[in-house]
Amino acid sequence: MYRYDKKGPKRGVALYSYSAEFGLTKTLEDCFEDVHDMGAHGIEILANTHIENYPYPTEEWVEKWRRLCDKYELVPVEYGHWIDSHVLGGRELTTEESVEMLCRDLRLAHRLGFTVMRTKMPVINDALEPVENWREIIKGALPLAEKLGLKMCPEIHTPSNLKGKMIRDYVEFIEETGTKNFGLNIDFSVFRNKFAEGEWKSPQFQPSEPEDMLPLLPYIYCCHAKFNHMSDEFEETTIPYPEIIRLLIDNGWDGYLLSEYEGADKYDPGYEVGQTLRKQHIMLKNLLGD
Amino acid sequence: MEREVIQSVGFRNIVENGEVTGFQLKIRLPYYRGVFLSQLRPGTLTVDGEVFTKEQIIWCIRGEEYNPEEMAVDFKTHWNPTETAVLKVKKPGGLSQGYHDLKYGYCFTSSYMPPVMQAALDPDKESFVFMPEFGHHVNERRLIIV
Repeated sequence: MYRYDKKGPKRGVALYSYSAEFGLTKTLEDCFEDVHDMGAHGIEILANTHIENYPYPTEEWVEKWRRLCDKYELVPVEYGHWIDSHVLGGRELTTEESVEMLCRDLRLAHRLGFTVMRTKMPVINDALEPVENWREIIKGALPLAEKLGLKMCPEIHTPSNLKGKMIRDYVEFIEETGTKNFGLNIDFSVFRNKFAEGEWKSPQFQPSEPEDMLPLLPYIYCCHAKFNHMSDEFEETTIPYPEIIRLLIDNGWDGYLLSEYEGADKYDPGYEVGQTLRKQHIMLKNLLGD
Repeated sequence: MEREVIQSVGFRNIVENGEVTGFQLKIRLPYYRGVFLSQLRPGTLTVDGEVFTKEQIIWCIRGEEYNPEEMAVDFKTHWNPTETAVLKVKKPGGLSQGYHDLKYGYCFTSSYMPPVMQAALDPDKESFVFMPEFGHHVNERRLIIV
């Protein structure tokens, strides 16, 4: 399969961005080609969206997946999936059932060539705190993750703060277990420091500073290059990108920055998210010296 | 697949052994990711004012048929957002030739949303706040039976 050996922060795209178009006006191959047009080499998929017949794709589909990665020079970077412990209305899945679900995703991620997983925990409240047995669920899957060389990473997203309890709990778990197969995906929404007048903002949200990432760098295996507003001068106006990228480069961080566009306007008729992504990739290319 | 939740293709009467026994329509999932069947909250179908409760509707996903009780406990069968589901309704004689006003309500849970929001989900009513990536619960369309 295609390999991209550049060191340091690298450009990629989370196919989540194509949510409003995928399956209607764009196929998986269209999305791949669009990312290739931008000269990006990393890709994140959502297992439950982009894998035909998930969670049991045919070998034929997996072959096609590999062919597409080669053709468009894309590295399968991050496999987005959910631990759906609340999947039944009447009861929670047991720890064993959740582990089983997680292991099924580990095997599939490995089969498709991924190395990092964005492991979404089921939440229990407005602060998006994970279920109480998350440690047991992750521990149950660690031996398989180790065997398959996969890193499970919860995404740290607004309104969470990099100095908050959730991060402390995750870091404590990593340090206690000494595992290399569980880490973090930092979503740059945590650094957002500008909001338009009257724009909704979670009352719990306190922006993190780029340097808050420093002690976490050894545990960060992937980042979501979240962006909200790209100006026509190709600058992101709400997140301090130059500082973030500088910090990652100066500290020798190696991994992918996966563009993720969450703006609701992508659902407007005729909207082409690829054009919005291209604006951000001009910025990233300039900042990375690509 | 069409952008509308209720698809224009797939709306017809069901003929079994030469007799019209009911009708069917196709819907898509207006969500950015697939769901396991137990996440679905099927609601009410209204055709020209005639009400069909969820118990009267069979969901058909990738050729397999499910009633609401079967769906509620099935957390292993997955419905992909790129595939349509067929809804089948028993109605001797089917629907008459011409226009029909269809209205169908359904929604689904998400494990990453606060549980209190999930408990309040009503397939026949819109959510308090509309989020395009979750789509509308209730969808309407006017379609023709030949």
